[in-house]
Amino acid sequence: MNEGNSGMKHVEQAPEAQIQTKRGFSIIWVVPIIALLIGGWLAFKAWSEKGPEITITFDSADGLEANKTKIKFKDVEVGILTEIRLMDDLSGVVVKAEMSKDAESYMTDKTQFWVVRARVAAGEVSGLGTLFSGAYIGCNPAQEGKPTNRFIGLEKPPVVTAGLPGRHFILKAETLGSLDVGSPVYYRGIKVGQVIQYDFDAAAESVNIRVFVSAPFHEKVTQNTRFWNASGIDVSLDTEGVRIDTQSLVSIMLGGVAFDLPEHLASVQQAEENKIFELYTNHEDSRQKTYAVKRYLRMYFEQSVRGLDPGAPVEIMGIKLGEVVDVKLEMNADDLSARIAVLVVIEPERIDTVVEDNVAMAGTSHVVSEQESLDNLRQLVVKGLRAQLKTGNLLTGQLYVNLDFYKEAIPVQIETTNGYMVFPTMPAPLEQIAQRVDNILEKFEKVPFDKIGQDLRETLAALTQTLEEIKATSGTVNEQTLPKINGALDDLQRTLKGIEATLGTDSALNYNARMITDELTVTIRSIRSLLNYLERDPQALIFGKEGDKQ
Amino acid sequence: MKAGFASARQLGLVSCHDCHLLSRMPNVTAHQAACCPRCGGELHQRKPNSIMRTWALVITGMVFYIPANLLPMTITSALGSTQADTIMSGVIYFIHSGSWEIALVIFVASIFVPFLKFIIIIYLLLSVQFKSIKRPKDRTLLYRITEAVGRWSMVDIYVVTILIALVKLGVLANIEAGPAAIYFAAMVAITMLAAESFDPRLIWDIVEEKHE
Repeated sequence: MNEGNSGMKHVEQAPEAQIQTKRGFSIIWVVPIIALLIGGWLAFKAWSEKGPEITITFDSADGLEANKTKIKFKDVEVGILTEIRLMDDLSGVVVKAEMSKDAESYMTDKTQFWVVRARVAAGEVSGLGTLFSGAYIGCNPAQEGKPTNRFIGLEKPPVVTAGLPGRHFILKAETLGSLDVGSPVYYRGIKVGQVIQYDFDAAAESVNIRVFVSAPFHEKVTQNTRFWNASGIDVSLDTEGVRIDTQSLVSIMLGGVAFDLPEHLASVQQAEENKIFELYTNHEDSRQKTYAVKRYLRMYFEQSVRGLDPGAPVEIMGIKLGEVVDVKLEMNADDLSARIAVLVVIEPERIDTVVEDNVAMAGTSHVVSEQESLDNLRQLVVKGLRAQLKTGNLLTGQLYVNLDFYKEAIPVQIETTNGYMVFPTMPAPLEQIAQRVDNILEKFEKVPFDKIGQDLRETLAALTQTLEEIKATSGTVNEQTLPKINGALDDLQRTLKGIEATLGTDSALNYNARMITDELTVTIRSIRSLLNYLERDPQALIFGKEGDKQ
Repeated sequence: MKAGFASARQLGLVSCHDCHLLSRMPNVTAHQAACCPRCGGELHQRKPNSIMRTWALVITGMVFYIPANLLPMTITSALGSTQADTIMSGVIYFIHSGSWEIALVIFVASIFVPFLKFIIIIYLLLSVQFKSIKRPKDRTLLYRITEAVGRWSMVDIYVVTILIALVKLGVLANIEAGPAAIYFAAMVAITMLAAESFDPRLIWDIVEEKHE
């Protein structure tokens, strides 16, 4: 208690403290209010930025990782994978992903998803970045379509054309040929688009090929435009010499589609989006005129039609009018007489009709009605128009159907059987020939053979001279022209070999590409192991590898 | 008065915070403050507004504790693939990779200790406000532990800063601090301030009042 007392003494001596007025408000509560504001703002941000959750099914989850794999569009992250699990029937994997808020309006059934991995395909190497970063999921958003959150992932990346100016067209072809997704589309040798998709139309037994033509070339695709398969090399040998037609080296390797407007067709308005075109097998075919109006006629012949095949021309005065479609034998059961029924197709548009005011109508624009053309035909038959088989080629004995006017023809009535109009025919006039042969022989007797003999000698002398000249000419042909053609073919062969050497499976380019890929893989593997090591032992950055200490 | 302890407050004395001069405490009204007669510094017998200040800071710390744990602490990018790790996912990663010691250190320093501090400070505050006289000595010990252990939570922040400085391999590997780092640092600093603003003498004041 002594200490206490002495303490009390000191207390008496202690000076009095002064007094000041002080503030009433405690500012400390501002701190939690600010903290709450920040926290509330963070929570609101997290809530407002939360986008839709979607599920995508894939065949395999190769390269995918939950919470790591991103969903990207144009290399912008639009979502992240949150879960990967197997499908209930084990036939694939289902991945769940959380999309960003602004991706919500793009989640429609037209939107496509696919896994982007490193891919080396003929023509291009893509997705090299994924060697480092791992695979990601690419997407091709589409705003039109029904909103959904379940998607089926594509196994192959589609060609993304969303947002690119241009137009899509559909080409119908019998076979796909060497075309593939990504095959180029050419317009006069310029690459203006590509094949983006193809599928088999079971109903039409044809292949539908979807192509994209980018702006401004989509304006060149009009209603009359023809598309043709520009794959490979088109070599033709005709009177003009050897002609090699190809779009580009790439199209030789990969195939391609080209389009243009045939010279004989008028340029009309542009083709609309998704218009369907026929895909011609080659450029030559695409330039053929086609006629929409076809009239079928039946003709009966009572002689051998050996040499008359379907496709043989029907001509009038040397102009093709149509062709033979079918040839068959018809037997009459009553009297066992036989005749040949030939079905031909006539394309009336091939004839320019001159109407009364002398305006020649362009064949394409004037379409005659069926009845009208039959009436025309009847009048022509009354005037003596008959069909007759003629030999087109003396060497092969090919026949064709010739239409001509015969004044001596017996007038006939045009009848219709089995829905086809029967066109009257003329027999091959054997008797007329015999008559004419007689006439010729008569005239023959009057011929002055002596004089002819003399003339003949002179002619022969001249002929010999001519022949010598021809020989000289043909020598030139042999010595100069043929070797050139040979040379051209050799050059072509060399070029193709060169292409094979450059781009083929065993080529240096391919080998190098493989080597580079292998080296890259090794490098990446070692970098991975380094990073894994660093992740486990970050102190190695400072202290070095543990093993090095000893 | 118990066992001869005399506190300065009971004797009406007050020590200056700055020059430590002992002076007699006058009676001040709510709008007045006592000042040191020697250096002029303001005098307080107990930490002013201790309870309210501590409450405010504890609440602030708890608010920051949420984003500190939910947002990513580090953003690691290696070979182009980026990965954001929260504190807890880092702990889980270390457990999976076998380094459970490191996992334990991170868990204790970054998750357990801050949480424990909140609990202890709130318990102390409530016990003072409800004028509890139970085990004042143990409660003072708790306070001492809280004050001592607080700064060690900063270990996480130091590790992150060192990693950021070390791992700068460009495309190969890169570590960046995530947004949680800021909230975590703020949370640690604020809980330290909260522990600081609590006046443990209040525990004993109540015990003395009850005994009188």
